[in-house]
Amino acid sequence: MGEVIVITSGKGGVGKTTTTANLGVALAQLGLKTCLVDADIGLRNLDVVLGLENRIVYDLVDVVEGFCRLRQALIRDKRLEGLSLLPAAQTKDKTSVTPEQMRGVTEELRAEFDYVLVDSPAGIEQGFKNAIAGADHALIVATPEVASVRDADRIIGLLEAAEIPPARLIVNRLRPGMVRKGDMMSVDDIVDILAIDLIGVVPEDEQIVVTTNRGEPAALSQGSRAGEAYRAVARRIRGEEVPFAEFGEPAGLFGRLRRMFGQA
Amino acid sequence: MSQVTHASEDVGRDGSRREAALYVRRTLRAGQRIAHDGDVVVLGDVHAGAEIRAAGDVLVFGQLRGVVHAGADGGDGAMVCAWRLQPLQLRIGHVIARPPDAYEDVPDAPEIARVEHGQVVIERAARPEDGRMARG
Repeated sequence: MGEVIVITSGKGGVGKTTTTANLGVALAQLGLKTCLVDADIGLRNLDVVLGLENRIVYDLVDVVEGFCRLRQALIRDKRLEGLSLLPAAQTKDKTSVTPEQMRGVTEELRAEFDYVLVDSPAGIEQGFKNAIAGADHALIVATPEVASVRDADRIIGLLEAAEIPPARLIVNRLRPGMVRKGDMMSVDDIVDILAIDLIGVVPEDEQIVVTTNRGEPAALSQGSRAGEAYRAVARRIRGEEVPFAEFGEPAGLFGRLRRMFGQA
Repeated sequence: MSQVTHASEDVGRDGSRREAALYVRRTLRAGQRIAHDGDVVVLGDVHAGAEIRAAGDVLVFGQLRGVVHAGADGGDGAMVCAWRLQPLQLRIGHVIARPPDAYEDVPDAPEIARVEHGQVVIERAARPEDGRMARG
């Protein structure tokens, strides 16, 4: 039985979809059968980022409404064996799916895949509730900005209320130079505020813009710093101990102590 | 105080009855709110964006970064105590206070906030010489 992981953030534009696409690629590269689910109904993007837009026939809403079987809606990525996408509908909205139906879909997927990654929409409303419905774990994406961290904190609280085990944090778009000058929050600052475990630090990388627009996630090819960081996250998801690159100082002893206290 | 206190009740410093203290055994995150007609004790942190409204005192055994209103039914005699007192905004009774805009180092020690002469004053919670709680 595979694991269902929701990728969420609260705030929009912090890189949930890019993260989902790259983690999907990186997990598939490790030989793990991975299915990506776009839960952002009405604003689907994941297919575009993956370059699979022109192959969509059926989508998530078609599946839950019974117009097709789940297998028919899945798109296999030709570049990578083991990577599949369940696209969102573009012409419907978040109310076309219920959390119950979403749970049904993820249950069916986990029987066939090692990992099911659900790309959550921004916000805390119906779309978010659908996205987390079937999840075993959550990955929180936050950028080093106060608003993003505040929203992440809100989301972590909602995940706790939904009894989804402690979320793990991906700090995205970090600019180590700015951190050194004291112009940007450091990874330590963010971990101290959110008091959750860190699973990845992805540096700002212009390659992401290029590869995302081309529909070829950065993790597909070597030589991108962000792609490298996503590959490290994928290995940590699988349970490997991967040291953090020099820009990603892990939480110090203080952060750990606080965390133990916070969950008492 | 000679009055008998029922298990579900508490007696405030001014002798008024109210509900027994509420223990919150977790961290309060952004968007989470606690309201209680008595004292509130948090065994965890109160993050920025979280809110506590208490008729009595508020004690935080952790970092306090959110918004707290102690003495919310108008009791200017209430106090707020935290291991690290760095709230976004502090309200005690009728008085509202916020930290100065200029960055100030928060002392690495527990502090107590209470109202004196219509203003919120903050002092170390313990007297270093004997480790006793500071009384205003």
